[in-house]
Amino acid sequence: MKPAANIKTTGQLALPPWRSRLLFVLLMGGLAGLLVRGIYLQAIHDDFLQQKGDARYGRVIDINAHRGMITDRHGEPLAISTPVESVWASPPDVDATSQQVRDLARLLGMSMQEVKERLFDTSRDFVYLRRQLPPEQAGKVERLGIAGVSLKREYRRYYPGGEVTSHLLGFTSVDDNGQEGIELAMQSQLGGKAGSQRVIKDRRGHIVEDVASLRAPKEGSDIALSLDNKIQFLAFREIKKTVEEHQAKSGSIVVLDAKTGELLALANWPSYNPNNREKPAPNVMRNHAVTDLFEPGSTMKPFTIATALDLGKIKPDTEINTEHGVYTVGGRKIHDTHPEAYLTVAQVIQKSSNVGASKIALSMKPEQFWHGLHEAGFGAPTGSEFPGEAPGRLRDYNTWRPIEQATMSYGNGISVNLLQLARAYTVFANDGELKPITLLKQDAPVVGTKVFSANTAQEVREMLELVVRPGGTAPEAQINGYRVAGKTGTAHKLDGGHYVNHYVASFVGLAPASNPRLIVAVMVNDPSGAEYYGGQVAAPAFSNVMGAALRQLNVPNDAPLNNVMQPNPDELIKEDT
Amino acid sequence: MINASLKAPRRVMMDYDNVLAWVVIALLSIGLVMVYSASIATAEAGKFTGYQPTYFLVRHALFILVGLIAGVIVFQVPTQTWQNLAPYLFLFGVVLLLLVLIPGVGKSVNGSRRWLSLFVINLQPSELMKFFAVLYAADYTVRKGAVKDSLSKAFFPMFAVMALVGTLLLLEPDMGAFVVICAIAMGTLWLGGFNLKIFGGLIVALPLAFAALILSSPYRMQRVIGFMDPWSDPYGKGYQLSHALIAFGRGEWFGVGLGASVEKLFYLPEAHTDFLLAVIAEELGLFGVCIVILLFGWLIVRAFAIGRQAAMEERLFAALVAQGVALWLGVQAMINIGVNMGILPTKGLTLPFLSFGGSGVVVNLVAVAVLFRIDYENRRVARGLPI
Repeated sequence: MKPAANIKTTGQLALPPWRSRLLFVLLMGGLAGLLVRGIYLQAIHDDFLQQKGDARYGRVIDINAHRGMITDRHGEPLAISTPVESVWASPPDVDATSQQVRDLARLLGMSMQEVKERLFDTSRDFVYLRRQLPPEQAGKVERLGIAGVSLKREYRRYYPGGEVTSHLLGFTSVDDNGQEGIELAMQSQLGGKAGSQRVIKDRRGHIVEDVASLRAPKEGSDIALSLDNKIQFLAFREIKKTVEEHQAKSGSIVVLDAKTGELLALANWPSYNPNNREKPAPNVMRNHAVTDLFEPGSTMKPFTIATALDLGKIKPDTEINTEHGVYTVGGRKIHDTHPEAYLTVAQVIQKSSNVGASKIALSMKPEQFWHGLHEAGFGAPTGSEFPGEAPGRLRDYNTWRPIEQATMSYGNGISVNLLQLARAYTVFANDGELKPITLLKQDAPVVGTKVFSANTAQEVREMLELVVRPGGTAPEAQINGYRVAGKTGTAHKLDGGHYVNHYVASFVGLAPASNPRLIVAVMVNDPSGAEYYGGQVAAPAFSNVMGAALRQLNVPNDAPLNNVMQPNPDELIKEDT
Repeated sequence: MINASLKAPRRVMMDYDNVLAWVVIALLSIGLVMVYSASIATAEAGKFTGYQPTYFLVRHALFILVGLIAGVIVFQVPTQTWQNLAPYLFLFGVVLLLLVLIPGVGKSVNGSRRWLSLFVINLQPSELMKFFAVLYAADYTVRKGAVKDSLSKAFFPMFAVMALVGTLLLLEPDMGAFVVICAIAMGTLWLGGFNLKIFGGLIVALPLAFAALILSSPYRMQRVIGFMDPWSDPYGKGYQLSHALIAFGRGEWFGVGLGASVEKLFYLPEAHTDFLLAVIAEELGLFGVCIVILLFGWLIVRAFAIGRQAAMEERLFAALVAQGVALWLGVQAMINIGVNMGILPTKGLTLPFLSFGGSGVVVNLVAVAVLFRIDYENRRVARGLPI
């Protein structure tokens, strides 16, 4: 093609180069302008824009702290936190098809209606759909990929012991705060402090970037209890068996280390499994051993005797006129189940004589008697700091009438909790020294307070040994290979201010009597079977738990293995308090 | 000696524009990587993609392949053939634009009826129309060369055609395509040396016409007003733009890193199509944005150079087509970038060569193929060889 021919075909058209150049310059100018705008946005105005971005997808989230583990004294786990995921939604961001909602409802085990109500409740910014799902199930929810539905890491408490340790440990709320028991008492140590973290989230609520840690979560500390898991299990099994066998309302058992006051076991029946989220009935949830007060009955007699011995009013062999079993104080009659003319102080314990105990009590001034009981820890909290502990009632001696002073000697008109009663017996195990109760494992020797002289404690312990021998009220409390010292109690229950024919059967004992290692206290509330005496209902449970626990702890025998002596049936001694 | 010196320049002179090729390859490559990066989250979470993260990547790569094959075929076609076909192709484009508007034939997405559903892909006639408009305007300008100073003979017929096309595009609506086609038509008439006074009048009249057009529709009005202050309603009308701007701000000089964009995580709508540049800005920073702008600048430089070369060789149609292509790609890129940066109202225009969108990439590559052909013919003519 020749240039000349081209001109002819196009007539007068020519392309003015300046126009092309101007257009080119305009285009380049436009691009240059965009470049300037880019520099402005990315290098000058960027702080403002980043701030806007943070407002859109920067979030401060809580990082839940791990709750401390509770272990027994040997490090066996009793309460552990396992990670779970809670499913929550941000309704304004939710974007889900009806199929997705259906799948979600199925995975959460909720009705379609319920899920929809929460998911589309746009008046709220945050709503839980389901708390504490196992991780694998939560994973399935996440894979549905519903915009606005997210997971939150939480911890769920798991109690390997289940109903065995439930009353002692208590439980936590869904928000990981202690509600009952140790979980509540030691909340400040166990509970961690949630941290917070600045993160970037995508529009569907997933965290895509950790920007900065504002506050590191503080993990809760582990706690080693004084509890011995094996003894706890023995105690639980025994109290459950005893309550069922005697058709009782409830029963409790406490095992203490006699030397240190450490709580080795505490069990109640009925009990509940804290791993189930359904709340049990209040009666079942109650830690009877600590929160229930009862009139101790004859288990108080050793303290009456010890106070009088310490004051020098009596000696173990002092003869008391027991008035053939009926003694009138202030117009009211006090009875003995086994009427005798005279009993020595030791026999008063052995046969559980109310008349004898009353006379001994009345030989003291009210203030002196009150002082002895008060020093042994009655009428005051045990210091276990267990939530809901009932401190017990010991009335001011200024208000005592003689009949009250008399009945108090055998445990009527005074109220205690089982833990308190068990603790009081530490005075007989430690040469008159009362040990503080502790729920935590102790490594150093524990200093107590001197209540009675060593001699008195020794003498009472010897009397208590008589109780389990033939001729005493609790031969069934004997243990193969160990000497046992203990006291029965069979108290009438109060109903509307009157004593009725319902009973609290109890037994508190120490073993080995030569050098006490453990204290076991058993209380059975309202046994409604044929037997209701402490020696029949509580003593066998004591014997089983104490024997097994001593063997478990490899405590050396202090008696030959054929030491158990069964009395003749007509020799059986029963008591009325 | 003489033989050697005669042969030497030939070996140096290439048969095609080497630089232009590399510019286009660079744009396509950046586009492919960034489309993947921008779409990966939505693709993985979307039911319609079958939860495949590579859903858009695979399709985009396929469209590029189709575009390259189409380009190779188009390169075989002499410029003269395009000139002969120009009016018919334009007519064909108008027919397609009509078809799009027929319910049942045209496919509607997000309230805009822009797509024709073919068996496997959705064809967007307005993209084709841009290419046809370049050819038609060039041919028109060459044909009307004799009457270039007459308002009624040189300008009015073009106005009428533009009014028709404009009406069809605004019915979809596809305001962006209309702006680009208007720019192509007016730019080509301007390059053709049409009467200066009339252009002076147009510079006054066109903005007025545009203003009238915008004021007549609340939809367009909203789009125009919305971009001015996205922060006044950042969760409503300013939502998309505010997120695009945040993406720019987060990118700073060198970006948050490839793949690390937060905006693409369901915040910024159309991250892999119209707002791809915002993701580039966030992940690659000002550095990445500069490279994209410079590549488009270079593309325009080469296209204008090819056009001027053709003009010098008195190949007027070719010269106008080359510069028309530069105008088209340049204006469309500038509008898209301007929209991303919040200085122009949202138009629904893709970034040529980079954005996801089948018809767009293919037609862009076809246009570049024509550019290569013109360059190829230029070189043949310069060497005195037959085309």
